[in-house]
Amino acid sequence: MKSLLPVFSSSRSLLRPSLCGCLAIGLALTADSSFAGSRILGTGGVSAIEGAAGGGLSPWAVLTSTASEQEVGATASATRAWVDDYRLTVTGASLNVYDRVELSVARQTLDLETLGGELDQDIYGAKVRLWGDVLYHPWGIWSMGVQHKRLVDGATPTALGASDTNGTDVYLSASKLLFSAVAGRNVLLNATFRNTDANQGGLLGFGGDQGNRTWVAEGSVGVFITPQWVVGAEYRQKPDNLSVAKEDDWQSLYSAYFFNKHLSLTGAWLDLGDIAGLPSQRGGYLSLQAAY
Amino acid sequence: MIIQPRSTSSRRSLIALLFAVVSLTLMGCAHQSTALTTTSAPLYERLGGATTIDAVVENFLYRIADDDDMVGFFANTNIDFFAQSLASQLCDVSDGPCRYEGPPMDRAHQNMGLTDVHFNRLVEHLDAAMEEEGIALGNRNELLGRLAPMYADVMRLQ
Repeated sequence: MKSLLPVFSSSRSLLRPSLCGCLAIGLALTADSSFAGSRILGTGGVSAIEGAAGGGLSPWAVLTSTASEQEVGATASATRAWVDDYRLTVTGASLNVYDRVELSVARQTLDLETLGGELDQDIYGAKVRLWGDVLYHPWGIWSMGVQHKRLVDGATPTALGASDTNGTDVYLSASKLLFSAVAGRNVLLNATFRNTDANQGGLLGFGGDQGNRTWVAEGSVGVFITPQWVVGAEYRQKPDNLSVAKEDDWQSLYSAYFFNKHLSLTGAWLDLGDIAGLPSQRGGYLSLQAAY
Repeated sequence: MIIQPRSTSSRRSLIALLFAVVSLTLMGCAHQSTALTTTSAPLYERLGGATTIDAVVENFLYRIADDDDMVGFFANTNIDFFAQSLASQLCDVSDGPCRYEGPPMDRAHQNMGLTDVHFNRLVEHLDAAMEEEGIALGNRNELLGRLAPMYADVMRLQ
Protein backbone atom coordinates (compact mmCIF):
# COMPACT_ATOMS: atom_id res chain seq x y z
CA MET A 1 0.00 0.00 0.00
CA LYS A 2 2.81 2.36 1.01
CA SER A 3 4.64 1.78 -2.22
CA LEU A 4 1.49 2.54 -4.19
CA LEU A 5 0.88 5.90 -2.60
CA PRO A 6 3.77 7.83 -4.21
CA VAL A 7 2.67 6.53 -7.60
CA PHE A 8 -0.78 7.83 -6.86
CA SER A 9 0.33 11.31 -5.92
CA SER A 10 2.97 11.70 -8.60
CA SER A 11 0.67 10.95 -11.52
CA ARG A 12 -2.59 11.74 -9.80
CA SER A 13 -3.96 13.69 -12.76
CA LEU A 14 -3.59 10.63 -15.00
CA LEU A 15 -4.51 7.85 -12.58
CA ARG A 16 -7.61 9.39 -11.03
CA PRO A 17 -9.74 9.70 -14.16
CA SER A 18 -8.70 6.31 -15.52
CA LEU A 19 -9.37 4.66 -12.14
CA CYS A 20 -12.77 6.35 -11.92
CA GLY A 21 -13.45 5.31 -15.49
CA CYS A 22 -12.52 1.67 -14.86
CA LEU A 23 -14.60 1.66 -11.69
CA ALA A 24 -17.60 3.12 -13.52
CA ILE A 25 -17.27 0.58 -16.35
CA GLY A 26 -16.88 -2.28 -13.86
CA LEU A 27 -19.96 -1.14 -11.97
CA ALA A 28 -21.91 -0.63 -15.17
CA LEU A 29 -21.11 -4.11 -16.48
CA THR A 30 -22.02 -5.88 -13.27
CA ALA A 31 -24.86 -3.66 -12.07
CA ASP A 32 -28.17 -5.32 -11.31
CA SER A 33 -30.78 -4.37 -13.88
CA SER A 34 -33.14 -3.39 -11.05
CA PHE A 35 -31.16 -0.14 -10.83
CA ALA A 36 -31.92 0.56 -14.47
CA GLY A 37 -34.92 2.37 -15.88
CA SER A 38 -37.74 0.29 -17.27
CA ARG A 39 -37.59 1.48 -20.87
CA ILE A 40 -36.40 -1.06 -23.44
CA LEU A 41 -32.64 -1.38 -24.08
CA GLY A 42 -31.38 1.16 -26.62
CA THR A 43 -34.41 3.47 -26.45
CA GLY A 44 -32.33 6.19 -24.77
CA GLY A 45 -29.90 6.41 -27.67
CA VAL A 46 -26.34 7.36 -26.76
CA SER A 47 -24.76 10.71 -25.84
CA ALA A 48 -24.45 13.10 -28.77
CA ILE A 49 -21.47 15.48 -28.84
CA GLU A 50 -23.58 18.32 -27.43
CA GLY A 51 -24.64 16.28 -24.39
CA ALA A 52 -28.23 15.45 -25.31
CA ALA A 53 -29.45 11.90 -25.92
CA GLY A 54 -29.11 11.13 -29.60
CA GLY A 55 -26.74 9.61 -32.07
CA GLY A 56 -23.25 11.01 -32.27
CA LEU A 57 -23.74 14.22 -34.23
CA SER A 58 -27.41 14.99 -33.73
CA PRO A 59 -29.87 14.99 -30.82
CA TRP A 60 -32.80 12.57 -31.08
CA ALA A 61 -36.29 12.94 -29.64
CA VAL A 62 -35.74 10.13 -27.12
CA LEU A 63 -34.72 11.13 -23.60
CA THR A 64 -31.50 9.96 -22.01
CA SER A 65 -31.06 6.68 -20.04
CA THR A 66 -33.91 4.18 -19.73
CA ALA A 67 -35.95 6.06 -17.12
CA SER A 68 -39.69 5.84 -17.68
CA GLU A 69 -42.51 7.74 -16.01
CA GLN A 70 -42.02 7.87 -12.20
CA GLU A 71 -38.33 7.07 -12.70
CA VAL A 72 -35.18 9.20 -12.74
CA GLY A 73 -32.11 8.29 -14.77
CA ALA A 74 -28.64 9.72 -15.24
CA THR A 75 -25.76 9.20 -17.64
CA ALA A 76 -22.11 10.14 -17.88
CA SER A 77 -20.19 10.00 -21.12
CA ALA A 78 -16.73 10.43 -22.56
CA THR A 79 -16.21 10.97 -26.27
CA ARG A 80 -13.27 11.54 -28.54
CA ALA A 81 -13.17 12.26 -32.27
CA TRP A 82 -10.03 12.30 -34.36
CA VAL A 83 -10.07 13.98 -37.77
CA ASP A 84 -7.15 15.01 -39.98
CA ASP A 85 -6.22 18.30 -38.30
CA TYR A 86 -8.33 18.36 -35.11
CA ARG A 87 -9.14 16.32 -32.04
CA LEU A 88 -12.42 16.80 -30.18
CA THR A 89 -12.93 15.63 -26.60
CA VAL A 90 -16.33 15.76 -24.96
CA THR A 91 -17.29 14.91 -21.41
CA GLY A 92 -20.95 15.06 -20.61
CA ALA A 93 -23.64 14.22 -18.10
CA SER A 94 -27.39 14.11 -18.39
CA LEU A 95 -30.45 13.60 -16.25
CA ASN A 96 -33.85 12.23 -17.18
CA VAL A 97 -36.77 13.15 -14.92
CA TYR A 98 -39.87 10.97 -15.41
CA ASP A 99 -39.12 10.53 -19.13
CA ARG A 100 -40.51 14.04 -19.55
CA VAL A 101 -37.55 16.38 -19.08
CA GLU A 102 -33.91 15.85 -19.94
CA LEU A 103 -31.15 18.14 -18.61
CA SER A 104 -27.61 17.89 -19.91
CA VAL A 105 -24.19 19.49 -19.61
CA ALA A 106 -21.20 18.96 -21.86
CA ARG A 107 -17.68 20.32 -22.07
CA GLN A 108 -16.15 20.25 -25.53
CA THR A 109 -12.42 20.70 -26.14
CA LEU A 110 -11.22 21.04 -29.71
CA ASP A 111 -7.46 20.61 -30.06
CA LEU A 112 -6.22 22.49 -33.11
CA GLU A 113 -3.43 20.05 -33.85
CA THR A 114 -2.26 21.71 -37.07
CA LEU A 115 -3.10 25.36 -36.29
CA GLY A 116 -2.07 25.15 -32.62
CA GLY A 117 -4.07 25.91 -29.49
CA GLU A 118 -7.47 24.71 -28.36
CA LEU A 119 -11.07 25.88 -28.22
CA ASP A 120 -13.33 25.06 -25.26
CA GLN A 121 -17.08 25.29 -25.07
CA ASP A 122 -19.68 24.52 -22.39
CA ILE A 123 -23.14 23.42 -23.45
CA TYR A 124 -26.19 23.44 -21.17
CA GLY A 125 -29.11 21.56 -22.65
CA ALA A 126 -32.75 20.90 -21.86
CA LYS A 127 -35.16 18.71 -23.77
CA VAL A 128 -38.87 18.17 -23.17
CA ARG A 129 -40.83 15.23 -24.51
CA LEU A 130 -43.93 16.81 -26.05
CA TRP A 131 -45.79 13.57 -26.68
CA GLY A 132 -45.56 10.05 -27.99
CA ASP A 133 -43.28 7.09 -27.60
CA VAL A 134 -40.54 5.81 -29.89
CA LEU A 135 -41.90 2.23 -29.78
CA TYR A 136 -45.61 2.34 -29.06
CA HIS A 137 -47.00 5.46 -30.72
CA PRO A 138 -47.74 5.27 -34.47
CA TRP A 139 -46.21 8.74 -34.95
CA GLY A 140 -43.25 8.08 -32.67
CA ILE A 141 -41.89 10.46 -30.04
CA TRP A 142 -41.69 14.24 -30.45
CA SER A 143 -39.48 16.48 -28.35
CA MET A 144 -38.32 20.08 -28.21
CA GLY A 145 -34.96 21.14 -26.90
CA VAL A 146 -32.62 24.06 -26.29
CA GLN A 147 -28.83 24.10 -26.10
CA HIS A 148 -27.12 27.13 -24.61
CA LYS A 149 -23.50 27.25 -25.68
CA ARG A 150 -20.73 29.37 -24.19
CA LEU A 151 -17.19 29.57 -25.52
CA VAL A 152 -14.61 29.68 -22.75
CA ASP A 153 -12.27 31.93 -24.75
CA GLY A 154 -13.82 33.54 -27.82
CA ALA A 155 -10.69 35.31 -29.14
CA THR A 156 -10.03 33.01 -32.11
CA PRO A 157 -13.68 32.74 -33.27
CA THR A 158 -14.05 36.53 -32.97
CA ALA A 159 -10.89 37.02 -35.02
CA LEU A 160 -12.39 34.76 -37.70
CA GLY A 161 -15.41 37.06 -37.87
CA ALA A 162 -17.92 35.44 -35.50
CA SER A 163 -20.31 38.02 -34.09
CA ASP A 164 -20.85 36.33 -30.72
CA THR A 165 -19.13 33.99 -28.27
CA ASN A 166 -22.28 32.43 -26.94
CA GLY A 167 -25.52 31.34 -28.50
CA THR A 168 -28.60 29.21 -28.11
CA ASP A 169 -29.91 26.51 -30.42
CA VAL A 170 -33.56 25.49 -30.41
CA TYR A 171 -34.68 22.23 -31.99
CA LEU A 172 -37.68 20.05 -32.69
CA SER A 173 -37.01 16.35 -33.02
CA ALA A 174 -39.00 13.24 -33.90
CA SER A 175 -37.92 9.60 -33.57
CA LYS A 176 -39.70 6.40 -34.52
CA LEU A 177 -38.79 2.72 -34.42
CA LEU A 178 -40.17 0.66 -37.30
CA PHE A 179 -40.55 -2.93 -36.15
CA SER A 180 -39.24 -5.65 -38.43
CA ALA A 181 -38.62 -3.17 -41.25
CA VAL A 182 -35.58 -4.64 -43.02
CA ALA A 183 -34.92 -8.39 -43.02
CA GLY A 184 -36.88 -8.71 -39.79
CA ARG A 185 -34.72 -6.07 -38.10
CA ASN A 186 -36.08 -2.98 -36.35
CA VAL A 187 -35.14 0.35 -37.90
CA LEU A 188 -34.82 3.64 -36.02
CA LEU A 189 -35.58 6.86 -37.89
CA ASN A 190 -34.87 10.31 -36.56
CA ALA A 191 -35.35 13.83 -37.87
CA THR A 192 -34.32 17.04 -36.12
CA PHE A 193 -34.93 20.64 -37.18
CA ARG A 194 -32.66 23.11 -35.49
CA ASN A 195 -32.63 26.89 -35.39
CA THR A 196 -29.04 27.93 -34.83
CA ASP A 197 -26.35 30.52 -35.46
CA ALA A 198 -23.53 28.27 -34.21
CA ASN A 199 -20.46 27.95 -36.44
CA GLN A 200 -19.06 24.40 -36.33
CA GLY A 201 -21.49 23.65 -33.53
CA GLY A 202 -20.39 26.79 -31.68
CA LEU A 203 -16.66 26.06 -31.46
CA LEU A 204 -16.08 28.81 -34.06
CA GLY A 205 -18.50 31.20 -32.38
CA PHE A 206 -21.97 32.34 -33.39
CA GLY A 207 -23.10 34.29 -36.44
CA GLY A 208 -20.78 36.02 -38.88
CA ASP A 209 -20.41 38.21 -41.93
CA GLN A 210 -22.38 35.80 -44.15
CA GLY A 211 -25.44 35.32 -41.97
CA ASN A 212 -26.91 34.63 -38.58
CA ARG A 213 -29.73 32.38 -37.37
CA THR A 214 -30.99 29.78 -39.78
CA TRP A 215 -32.97 26.53 -39.81
CA VAL A 216 -31.02 23.35 -40.49
CA ALA A 217 -32.13 19.74 -40.85
CA GLU A 218 -30.52 16.69 -39.28
CA GLY A 219 -31.43 13.07 -39.80
CA SER A 220 -30.37 9.55 -39.00
CA VAL A 221 -31.21 5.97 -39.84
CA GLY A 222 -30.18 2.99 -37.73
CA VAL A 223 -30.77 -0.73 -38.09
CA PHE A 224 -30.85 -2.86 -34.94
CA ILE A 225 -28.86 -5.90 -36.15
CA THR A 226 -29.61 -7.37 -32.71
CA PRO A 227 -31.51 -5.76 -29.80
CA GLN A 228 -28.06 -4.74 -28.45
CA TRP A 229 -26.36 -3.53 -31.62
CA VAL A 230 -27.43 -0.70 -33.93
CA VAL A 231 -25.64 0.36 -37.10
CA GLY A 232 -26.51 3.42 -39.14
CA ALA A 233 -25.77 6.80 -40.64
CA GLU A 234 -26.27 10.39 -39.55
CA TYR A 235 -26.40 13.64 -41.45
CA ARG A 236 -26.31 17.15 -40.02
CA GLN A 237 -26.82 20.28 -42.06
CA LYS A 238 -24.85 23.31 -40.90
CA PRO A 239 -24.95 27.06 -41.35
CA ASP A 240 -22.14 28.75 -43.29
CA ASN A 241 -21.74 32.15 -41.63
CA LEU A 242 -18.02 32.87 -41.90
CA SER A 243 -16.55 33.90 -45.26
CA VAL A 244 -12.99 33.11 -44.14
CA ALA A 245 -13.87 29.61 -42.92
CA LYS A 246 -16.22 27.72 -45.21
CA GLU A 247 -18.40 25.28 -43.30
CA ASP A 248 -19.72 21.95 -44.58
CA ASP A 249 -22.45 19.59 -43.44
CA TRP A 250 -21.42 16.74 -41.14
CA GLN A 251 -22.02 13.07 -41.78
CA SER A 252 -21.19 9.82 -40.07
CA LEU A 253 -21.52 6.07 -40.25
CA TYR A 254 -21.97 4.70 -36.74
CA SER A 255 -22.17 1.49 -34.77
CA ALA A 256 -23.42 1.47 -31.18
CA TYR A 257 -23.34 -1.52 -28.88
CA PHE A 258 -25.40 -1.67 -25.69
CA PHE A 259 -23.69 -4.12 -23.29
CA ASN A 260 -26.71 -3.68 -21.00
CA LYS A 261 -28.88 -0.78 -19.80
CA HIS A 262 -25.83 0.68 -18.05
CA LEU A 263 -23.10 0.74 -20.65
CA SER A 264 -22.83 1.50 -24.34
CA LEU A 265 -19.92 1.98 -26.70
CA THR A 266 -20.29 3.91 -29.95
CA GLY A 267 -17.81 3.98 -32.81
CA ALA A 268 -18.19 6.04 -35.95
CA TRP A 269 -16.52 7.16 -39.11
CA LEU A 270 -16.85 10.92 -39.60
CA ASP A 271 -16.78 13.21 -42.61
CA LEU A 272 -16.96 16.75 -41.27
CA GLY A 273 -15.90 18.60 -44.45
CA ASP A 274 -13.90 21.82 -44.21
CA ILE A 275 -13.20 23.22 -40.73
CA ALA A 276 -11.60 26.64 -40.15
CA GLY A 277 -9.92 26.70 -43.54
CA LEU A 278 -8.53 23.16 -43.42
CA PRO A 279 -10.21 20.99 -46.05
CA SER A 280 -11.99 17.67 -45.90
CA GLN A 281 -11.74 16.61 -42.26
CA ARG A 282 -12.33 12.87 -41.89
CA GLY A 283 -11.65 10.45 -39.09
CA GLY A 284 -12.86 8.24 -36.29
CA TYR A 285 -15.06 8.63 -33.24
CA LEU A 286 -15.41 6.68 -30.00
CA SER A 287 -17.88 7.31 -27.21
CA LEU A 288 -18.53 5.49 -23.98
CA GLN A 289 -21.69 6.06 -21.93
CA ALA A 290 -22.54 4.84 -18.46
CA ALA A 291 -26.20 5.07 -17.42
CA TYR A 292 -28.13 4.59 -14.19
CA MET B 1 -5.01 24.06 -62.46
CA ILE B 2 -8.50 25.26 -61.66
CA ILE B 3 -10.33 23.50 -58.87
CA GLN B 4 -14.08 23.78 -59.23
CA PRO B 5 -15.64 24.80 -55.91
CA ARG B 6 -18.08 22.19 -54.73
CA SER B 7 -21.63 23.37 -54.88
CA THR B 8 -22.69 23.00 -51.25
CA SER B 9 -26.36 23.64 -51.84
CA SER B 10 -26.74 21.00 -54.54
CA ARG B 11 -24.74 18.53 -52.42
CA ARG B 12 -26.98 19.31 -49.47
CA SER B 13 -30.19 18.79 -51.35
CA LEU B 14 -28.81 15.60 -52.90
CA ILE B 15 -28.07 14.16 -49.48
CA ALA B 16 -31.41 15.34 -48.06
CA LEU B 17 -33.09 13.63 -51.02
CA LEU B 18 -31.06 10.48 -50.37
CA PHE B 19 -32.25 10.42 -46.76
CA ALA B 20 -35.85 10.92 -47.81
CA VAL B 21 -35.60 8.12 -50.37
CA VAL B 22 -33.97 5.74 -47.90
CA SER B 23 -36.62 6.50 -45.25
CA LEU B 24 -39.49 6.04 -47.69
CA THR B 25 -37.96 2.83 -49.04
CA LEU B 26 -37.64 1.48 -45.51
CA MET B 27 -41.25 2.32 -44.73
CA GLY B 28 -42.25 0.73 -48.02
CA CYS B 29 -40.19 -2.36 -47.24
CA ALA B 30 -41.84 -2.59 -43.84
CA HIS B 31 -45.25 -2.61 -45.51
CA GLN B 32 -44.25 -4.93 -48.32
CA SER B 33 -42.49 -7.44 -46.08
CA THR B 34 -45.63 -7.88 -43.99
CA ALA B 35 -47.67 -8.21 -47.19
CA LEU B 36 -45.23 -10.69 -48.72
CA THR B 37 -44.72 -12.83 -45.66
CA THR B 38 -48.44 -13.13 -45.00
CA THR B 39 -48.89 -14.58 -48.48
CA SER B 40 -45.94 -17.01 -48.18
CA ALA B 41 -45.89 -18.21 -44.56
CA PRO B 42 -48.10 -16.59 -41.94
CA LEU B 43 -46.31 -15.24 -38.87
CA TYR B 44 -48.24 -17.83 -36.82
CA GLU B 45 -46.44 -20.67 -38.60
CA ARG B 46 -43.06 -18.94 -38.45
CA LEU B 47 -43.53 -18.54 -34.68
CA GLY B 48 -43.99 -22.31 -34.45
CA GLY B 49 -47.78 -22.57 -34.26
CA ALA B 50 -49.87 -23.49 -31.22
CA THR B 51 -47.14 -25.56 -29.51
CA THR B 52 -44.62 -22.72 -29.41
CA ILE B 53 -47.21 -20.06 -28.58
CA ASP B 54 -48.44 -22.12 -25.60
CA ALA B 55 -44.83 -22.56 -24.46
CA VAL B 56 -44.21 -18.82 -24.78
CA VAL B 57 -47.33 -18.01 -22.75
CA GLU B 58 -46.28 -20.43 -19.98
CA ASN B 59 -42.71 -19.10 -19.97
CA PHE B 60 -44.07 -15.52 -19.88
CA LEU B 61 -46.37 -16.29 -16.92
CA TYR B 62 -43.50 -17.81 -14.92
CA ARG B 63 -41.55 -14.59 -15.52
CA ILE B 64 -44.54 -12.51 -14.32
CA ALA B 65 -44.91 -14.75 -11.26
CA ASP B 66 -41.24 -14.11 -10.39
CA ASP B 67 -41.60 -10.35 -10.81
CA ASP B 68 -42.73 -8.66 -7.59
CA ASP B 69 -43.74 -5.49 -9.42
CA MET B 70 -46.02 -7.39 -11.80
CA VAL B 71 -47.45 -10.40 -10.01
CA GLY B 72 -49.83 -8.26 -7.94
CA PHE B 73 -51.86 -7.38 -11.03
CA PHE B 74 -52.72 -11.06 -11.43
CA ALA B 75 -53.79 -11.64 -7.81
CA ASN B 76 -57.46 -12.03 -8.72
CA THR B 77 -56.91 -13.55 -12.15
CA ASN B 78 -57.91 -17.04 -13.21
CA ILE B 79 -54.49 -17.93 -14.62
CA ASP B 80 -55.68 -20.84 -16.78
CA PHE B 81 -58.30 -18.65 -18.39
CA PHE B 82 -55.78 -15.83 -18.82
CA ALA B 83 -53.21 -18.15 -20.42
CA GLN B 84 -55.80 -19.47 -22.86
CA SER B 85 -56.98 -15.96 -23.67
CA LEU B 86 -53.44 -14.64 -24.25
CA ALA B 87 -52.56 -17.63 -26.44
CA SER B 88 -55.65 -17.08 -28.59
CA GLN B 89 -54.79 -13.39 -28.90
CA LEU B 90 -51.20 -14.10 -29.98
CA CYS B 91 -52.57 -16.68 -32.45
CA ASP B 92 -55.11 -14.18 -33.81
CA VAL B 93 -52.60 -11.32 -34.07
CA SER B 94 -50.12 -13.57 -35.93
CA ASP B 95 -52.76 -14.60 -38.51
CA GLY B 96 -53.28 -18.04 -37.00
CA PRO B 97 -56.52 -20.05 -37.08
CA CYS B 98 -57.98 -18.44 -33.94
CA ARG B 99 -60.20 -15.54 -33.05
CA TYR B 100 -59.55 -13.63 -29.86
CA GLU B 101 -62.92 -13.40 -28.13
CA GLY B 102 -61.84 -11.94 -24.81
CA PRO B 103 -62.66 -8.41 -23.66
CA PRO B 104 -61.23 -5.46 -25.61
CA MET B 105 -57.83 -4.27 -24.40
CA ASP B 106 -59.09 -1.02 -22.81
CA ARG B 107 -61.79 -2.76 -20.73
CA ALA B 108 -59.49 -5.68 -19.85
CA HIS B 109 -57.02 -3.27 -18.21
CA GLN B 110 -59.49 -0.70 -16.88
CA ASN B 111 -58.44 1.15 -13.69
CA MET B 112 -55.54 -1.20 -12.97
CA GLY B 113 -53.22 1.76 -12.38
CA LEU B 114 -50.81 0.63 -15.10
CA THR B 115 -47.91 2.89 -16.05
CA ASP B 116 -45.29 2.77 -18.80
CA VAL B 117 -43.08 0.97 -16.27
CA HIS B 118 -45.48 -2.01 -16.24
CA PHE B 119 -46.03 -1.95 -19.99
CA ASN B 120 -42.28 -1.94 -20.70
CA ARG B 121 -41.69 -4.74 -18.21
CA LEU B 122 -44.36 -6.84 -19.88
CA VAL B 123 -42.72 -6.30 -23.28
CA GLU B 124 -39.35 -7.36 -21.86
CA HIS B 125 -40.82 -10.52 -20.30
CA LEU B 126 -42.66 -11.45 -23.50
CA ASP B 127 -39.59 -10.94 -25.69
CA ALA B 128 -37.39 -12.90 -23.27
CA ALA B 129 -39.97 -15.72 -23.25
CA MET B 130 -40.05 -15.78 -27.06
CA GLU B 131 -36.24 -15.82 -27.21
CA GLU B 132 -36.01 -18.68 -24.72
CA GLU B 133 -38.58 -20.68 -26.68
CA GLY B 134 -36.37 -20.37 -29.76
CA ILE B 135 -38.28 -17.84 -31.86
CA ALA B 136 -36.02 -16.07 -34.36
CA LEU B 137 -35.34 -12.34 -33.87
CA GLY B 138 -37.12 -11.30 -37.07
CA ASN B 139 -40.31 -13.08 -36.02
CA ARG B 140 -40.07 -11.71 -32.47
CA ASN B 141 -39.75 -8.19 -33.87
CA GLU B 142 -42.70 -8.72 -36.18
CA LEU B 143 -44.98 -9.95 -33.40
CA LEU B 144 -43.88 -7.11 -31.07
CA GLY B 145 -44.56 -4.68 -33.91
CA ARG B 146 -48.11 -6.00 -34.20
CA LEU B 147 -48.66 -5.80 -30.43
CA ALA B 148 -47.12 -2.33 -29.95
CA PRO B 149 -50.17 -0.37 -31.20
CA MET B 150 -52.22 -1.99 -28.38
CA TYR B 151 -50.42 0.39 -26.01
CA ALA B 152 -52.99 3.12 -26.69
CA ASP B 153 -55.93 0.81 -25.87
CA VAL B 154 -54.30 -0.70 -22.77
CA MET B 155 -53.55 2.77 -21.36
CA ARG B 156 -56.83 4.46 -22.35
CA LEU B 157 -58.77 3.74 -19.14
CA GLN B 158 -55.97 3.94 -16.55
